[in-house]
Amino acid sequence: MSEPAKITLEVQRYHPEQDSGPRWQRYTVPYTAEMSVLEGLQYIKDHLDGSLTFRWSCRMAICGSCGCMIDGEPELACHVFLRDYAPGPVRVAALDHFPIQRDLVIDHSDFLEKLETVHSYLIPAEERTPADGTHRQTPQAMADYYDYAQCINCLLCYAACPQYGWHPDFAGPAALALLQRYNLDDRDGGHRLRERVIDAEQGVWGCTLVGYCSEVCPKGVDPARAINQNKAGSAARYLLGWWRPGRRRGEDRE
Amino acid sequence: MSRPPVYRPSMRGWWQRHPAYRRYLLREGSSALLAAYALWLLAGLVSLAAGEAAYERWRELHGNPWVFGVHLAALLAALYHAVTWFRLLPLTLPALRWGGRRITDRTLVRGAWLTYVALSVGVWLYLLGGVR
Ligand code: SF4
Ligand code: FES
Repeated sequence: MSEPAKITLEVQRYHPEQDSGPRWQRYTVPYTAEMSVLEGLQYIKDHLDGSLTFRWSCRMAICGSCGCMIDGEPELACHVFLRDYAPGPVRVAALDHFPIQRDLVIDHSDFLEKLETVHSYLIPAEERTPADGTHRQTPQAMADYYDYAQCINCLLCYAACPQYGWHPDFAGPAALALLQRYNLDDRDGGHRLRERVIDAEQGVWGCTLVGYCSEVCPKGVDPARAINQNKAGSAARYLLGWWRPGRRRGEDRE
Repeated sequence: MSRPPVYRPSMRGWWQRHPAYRRYLLREGSSALLAAYALWLLAGLVSLAAGEAAYERWRELHGNPWVFGVHLAALLAALYHAVTWFRLLPLTLPALRWGGRRITDRTLVRGAWLTYVALSVGVWLYLLGGVR
């Protein structure tokens, strides 16, 4: 039998107890046509260097935990194949714009905190109890938000957003897309609450429509659209606020 | 127990990291030339208000090859900016429906271009009529 093909991976390493900054380490890995980059990393961990640290769980582009920069592009490591980068070297680094905890593991607590602020859950427009049965809607009403509901919180879009890199306060693509997912739901009545997030400087106005977030999203969420759909309404609210001074600065809101 | 330090990456050289960033800079940068052209027109208006001699001097400047070159660059920048502007337009609109069907981005962009061309032709015809 012939030797298996080999590919070189150049992996970003950072162990805070010994490194002052990230460094690169090369590994040569045998691969087959159906092996993902994630499987390449797993090969390294199992056979070459047990100290390599990275996140993963589902191996099928569902859990959103294996995001990293592969040759400079934000990707899910389980969603791209080694064969497409052969013979390498292919560079695997931690997701851009996030603090690195160890090797490819980033600290995503900032995103989780933001997710808590955008009210990304159904706030029923009318009072309901479980006795009312299923809260149904038409397929057409669902189509309005369906794409935005596909987000798996992988954060590739944040790694593709220079505005987030400069201004970590910016709520960012995924959080605002999830906000829009519930705003567009015809059973929902939480607009007023979410307007505060949208209209803030760290809300949709933090976005300058670089648009790269929508290109990298592995789930077709199109966060750039979710954000920019809100700008006209937000601008209108701002102008109306000047026109009717009593309504400014959210005095009318609870 | 204290947490080990995290490494915070910097944004230095960010635009070198991906062509999408450079396309973005080109798009935003093209508006600088548009602004310059608007200022040029404003200067023309001011010289018009200042009297015939000043206005003629402003007009004569257009014969200068440098001024011509900058005008050409501004025209190209305006066209490029218009193309990108129209392409991004659908992202700013809510999902629109026509007879129950979603209007595609392509239709929206085409509609916007058609409206733009129709308005431009209208303005041209009006101006030509005014000259005559
Ligand atoms: S919007 Fe797309 S890229 Fe961003 S976190 Fe959700 S799935 Fe990932
Ligand atoms: S391992 Fe779950 S998305 Fe890649």
